[in-house]
Amino acid sequence: MKVTFPHMGNAWIVIQTLLECLNVDYVTPPPNSKETLNIGTQLAPESACLPLKLNLGNFVQGAALGADTALITGGVGPCRFGYYGELEKQILQEAGYDFDVITLEPPDGSILGLLQRIRKLAGPKNNWRKITQALLFAYRKSVALDRIENTFHGYRPLVPDSNRVDQLYDEARMNLLQAMSEQGITEVLNWLSDKIQEEKVCSYGENYRDKKNTLRVGVVGEIYTVLEPYVSMEIEKELGNLGVLVDRSIYLSGWVGQHVFRGLAQGYKPIKPYYSLAKPYLNHFVGGHAMETVGAAVKYAQEGYDGLVQLLPLGCMPEIVAASILPKVQEDYGIPIMTLTVDEHTGKAGVLTRVEAFVDLLERSRIYKDHKEGVLELAGR
Amino acid sequence: MRLGLPRALTYYDYYPFWAGFFYKLGIQLHTSPQTNRTIMEDGLKKAPDETCLPVKILVGHLLALQDQDVDGIFLPRLVSMEKNTYLCPKILGLPESVLYAIPREVKVYTVDINWRKGKGLVLKNLYQFGEEIQRTKRQIREAFVEAQRWQKAYQRMRNGGWSFEESMECFEVLAEPVKLEKLGFIGNLPFTEDMDLQIKEKKSNPKIALVGHSYLAYENYANLNLLQHLKKKAEVKVVENVPSGFIEEKHGELPKKMFWSHAKKIYGAGAKYVESQEIDGLIYLSCFGCGTDSMTNDMLARKAREQQKPYLVLTLDEHTGEAGLITRIEAFLDMLERRKAHESYISPYGKRLDRYSNIT
Ligand code: SF4
Ligand code: SF4
Repeated sequence: MKVTFPHMGNAWIVIQTLLECLNVDYVTPPPNSKETLNIGTQLAPESACLPLKLNLGNFVQGAALGADTALITGGVGPCRFGYYGELEKQILQEAGYDFDVITLEPPDGSILGLLQRIRKLAGPKNNWRKITQALLFAYRKSVALDRIENTFHGYRPLVPDSNRVDQLYDEARMNLLQAMSEQGITEVLNWLSDKIQEEKVCSYGENYRDKKNTLRVGVVGEIYTVLEPYVSMEIEKELGNLGVLVDRSIYLSGWVGQHVFRGLAQGYKPIKPYYSLAKPYLNHFVGGHAMETVGAAVKYAQEGYDGLVQLLPLGCMPEIVAASILPKVQEDYGIPIMTLTVDEHTGKAGVLTRVEAFVDLLERSRIYKDHKEGVLELAGR
Repeated sequence: MRLGLPRALTYYDYYPFWAGFFYKLGIQLHTSPQTNRTIMEDGLKKAPDETCLPVKILVGHLLALQDQDVDGIFLPRLVSMEKNTYLCPKILGLPESVLYAIPREVKVYTVDINWRKGKGLVLKNLYQFGEEIQRTKRQIREAFVEAQRWQKAYQRMRNGGWSFEESMECFEVLAEPVKLEKLGFIGNLPFTEDMDLQIKEKKSNPKIALVGHSYLAYENYANLNLLQHLKKKAEVKVVENVPSGFIEEKHGELPKKMFWSHAKKIYGAGAKYVESQEIDGLIYLSCFGCGTDSMTNDMLARKAREQQKPYLVLTLDEHTGEAGLITRIEAFLDMLERRKAHESYISPYGKRLDRYSNIT
């Protein structure tokens, strides 16, 4: 058994850690690329969600490296994600890949079934204590990873040299990847904050921008699109490079905390507060991350952010619901919201143009406070 | 009191429930008219581009209800209609996600129906709704029993071969007294008995199954009278003709259960038809922007490929033209006839008839 898994932003670092702790034979598929998407688009139904297409691409590319088992998580609706596993298995089998798909979920609600699946993945050598430890360690790492990402969201807009920031970010991720103990993780985090302090003072000095003047933009939306830079066209980075301080509504560990650990662990960014904020606008959960999107939008609006970007893959059902509700948040709080839909035909250049125009708009609306109406009109387009 | 009800989406499956419910409570319903050009165009204009066709049509119907003499619009949120299932996220997102289409002064009544946690919760929510419309718990309870009776009656009628229009007609005249006056004068009942007889005589007509959402299959305006066209040349079976036992059986064969009640029904019925010797071919009726169809259709198409059953996908959108649609179904029916005549084993099933086929 050689396991592979789908990409979603930095999640691979966490999954790899988990599999390594359990001594499972695995292969990490190459990062998402044009080729990944092409493979997926050919295999998947045309109107399937973009994440499903990329997942399939990841599996096929993983198979080329010897993988024969795919690891994913599941769910019981109402969004399509819950049925990915079954559909992917059927599609891969028909395409001639004899894949075993391990879906980490309680089948028909049976916890015993879930434990059996974990056992199947971990093999007979690991005892339950070790498995629990591995899960917890991977979870802690994912919290640290999210913290690193967030640090960069705050750091990037303040420094003039974006290439240097990219380098530092990669370095931090690689260091974290190699950290295999609690202490190792702490050391990476400390190293990073020292490094940032040092660069602030030594390399940039005068050029270091003032935090007070940066625009603040919240990023909300469907989790895969938000987390995976290949799909989001690296929008967070681009915003940062334009001098915008980005804050993201959902992180991997927050999602895992809420959905895998059933809210027992809250992760780096707790999701829970969003639900009550969303209530006045959307009184019932609809699946996916619609409530998180609406709730986070309200939160950012209340905190006085300058604007919001909602990211969603074309046809994403819960986010379409959210997108139809966000104009009301925009109206109530006077916060410009840009909705960005991506699919396999989306080009980076087009997205960049829109992002630049949006940032421009926000800049202006800050200067000419009175003309905010016009800005709102344009923002939703 | 008179409540407006949009003739869209869940109307097509659960109207009898609400008809019975409000009938018992002495509240009149007013269902918006059949979809027409104005309704369709208003919906397309007002609803977000990205959403699916049925939601756009719903928005059109909401706009149509505004000019009617009603005390409010009733738009329930159907979360789950049977255990362990949901409806589609877009249906869960009602009514909030379409409120922008309705002026703020129009009162919108809503209630959550969620069977996942059993009858207790359903009743609790209905009681709450009862307070809003000044009805006692007892009245609500009675109305609920009546509603379920009507809904069951509807299911029996459909299983027994009544057409959608025939059965709905019965419920509508009861719940909407205005329609009583018109009874007997509604000239455009799509399927007359004569037609059914004709079909029975012409034994050689191919037998096909039309599967897909009820709100597409019976939405005659949006589907360009597809059923009528089909019935002229073929004997047509629909999802509702399959008793729930068979649906459970077919659906049970899946390693993982589907969690949308409508997709489960469509898949179960479709799988039954794919395997049935009686049925010569299947038509999957889908629409632009439907998220759940992307999965249900893919799975049924695969099953059809395995069984070498002819399978055609029709995807409706606002640009679909009647001529193109007729050409597509005629070609399909011709192929079925030829196939039958030659008893050939050449698979009529190719990629072009599968997921890349599209009537636009
Ligand atoms: S959240 Fe959206 S993209 Fe993700 S599975 Fe659901 S419908 Fe697809
Ligand atoms: S099931 Fe499909 S057609 Fe129906 S509301 Fe959902 S997305 Fe729209």
